[in-house]
Amino acid sequence: MSRVVDVPEEMDHRGFEELLLELERVFEDEPARILLNARHVRWVSPYGLIGLLAVGRVILDRTGNLPSIEAPENRDVRSYAEFMGFWQAAAGIFDVPPADPRTHGPHDALLEITPIRSHRDVHTVVERVRERAASILEKRLHYPKPAVIQFSVMLSEVCQNIIEHSDADGWVCAQTYDYKRRLGREVLMLAVMDVGVGFQGSLAAEHARRYGESWSPATALEAALLHGESRFRDPGRGQGLQAIRRQVVKWNGELAIRSGDAQIAIVPEWDDLPPLQRGLPSFPGAQILIVMPARDEEGRG
Amino acid sequence: MSGPYTSRPAVAVASLYQTYLVTRHTGRAVRLTIERLVEESPGPSLTVLDFSEVAVIDFSCADEVVARLLHDAMSRPATAVPQYFLLDGLEEEHVDPVSSALERRGLAMAARMASRHQVLLGRAEPEAVRVWEALARRGRARADDLAVCLEGDAAACRRWLTRLEARRLVRDVGEAFESLFLSLAGEGGDGPAVSDGPPGVGPVPPPA
Repeated sequence: MSRVVDVPEEMDHRGFEELLLELERVFEDEPARILLNARHVRWVSPYGLIGLLAVGRVILDRTGNLPSIEAPENRDVRSYAEFMGFWQAAAGIFDVPPADPRTHGPHDALLEITPIRSHRDVHTVVERVRERAASILEKRLHYPKPAVIQFSVMLSEVCQNIIEHSDADGWVCAQTYDYKRRLGREVLMLAVMDVGVGFQGSLAAEHARRYGESWSPATALEAALLHGESRFRDPGRGQGLQAIRRQVVKWNGELAIRSGDAQIAIVPEWDDLPPLQRGLPSFPGAQILIVMPARDEEGRG
Repeated sequence: MSGPYTSRPAVAVASLYQTYLVTRHTGRAVRLTIERLVEESPGPSLTVLDFSEVAVIDFSCADEVVARLLHDAMSRPATAVPQYFLLDGLEEEHVDPVSSALERRGLAMAARMASRHQVLLGRAEPEAVRVWEALARRGRARADDLAVCLEGDAAACRRWLTRLEARRLVRDVGEAFESLFLSLAGEGGDGPAVSDGPPGVGPVPPPA
């Protein structure tokens, strides 16, 4: 049996949740093949793009068959997906023909979709963004000079989270765009995802017993983000997410981490994301969203 | 410990050779290289971690390269010859990852910033910081000489100096205590320049 799953027209972090709800319903029928229909997508964020890859990988794992995907009809969305390297990353996850190497000219993507499989990939990512981050953060978003280094550190830590804790591959990408509707200014969005063991799985051996019956994806997220707990007993571990949280708060940004059926978020006054959500559609691994708003010309957040 | 070791420690400069000190994996490799360098010295040693070529250090790497290095050195048997460490050439952007990594393990390390200011990074009691700064300014001094920084309490000053020595932050040279920076003076280092407002020093609550 084959089933079609429609991708929401606005494929951002909210669209991702809608897609997972639909996918959950479709999985109940245990279809052998699934087609993701992205033809009507009118807008896609970095989180939405790698969210499609994560969904594709989960469908593949669940059905044993490469899912198909219908490309967006909207020219802007299609072109954006191309220059972010979506189709190269989709090979082996979706049933798509091999994509040509990217031939587009210079663009303002901070970081195209990049697979994270080992520490070498983290080095590559940090080195690759340095120059572009300087240009985008300082000139366009009016961040002070040290923010470029701080962003690199944050990027490194969030990518290492995949290698150290997920036991699976993941993806990262970052892009600026005009966040007019919600904020009325430009933002930098960084998205990192994997479909590995998730926070609950990663922390279970060390912490589950202490939490007893309350142990869940939500408590695991709280333990990691709010209390700096890690799967390792070593006190030097677990500081990466804490550092990211401090930095995001300092920049008046937003941090949301989804894992299992829960999401925890550090929410600035300009957004209305709930700080903790439970009972979301269950999804493997961890999905991290960081939004950094442009500062005013004087560098104020 | 069998000290005090009154002779100057052997000074070695460990260039970190990396522009991007990121990932725990990289940090572990760098730390093992430094540990081999330190082990080559048969007597007391002072190893300077040179950050002048480092553009980025993340928290995980700072934990491996700086905090684990000091933690492991301090976990050696009390009879082992002392190993001291200094950070050199740090930029402001390095301070948060390095200081946070040290704090997580309850450690502190002396650092000379690229601006030449000397600061104590990591976790240290406010009194310990005052005594450490006073000694860093003088280079070498007896507890009595530094007592003014603790309202004339020489006994308290000696206790803090002894604790600083146990944490490998100063050297007990018998009659007096010595700042680690003084050992650099004969190695092309310059005189003390202690910052009035040390960045990255996180006070610990007083002992119960």
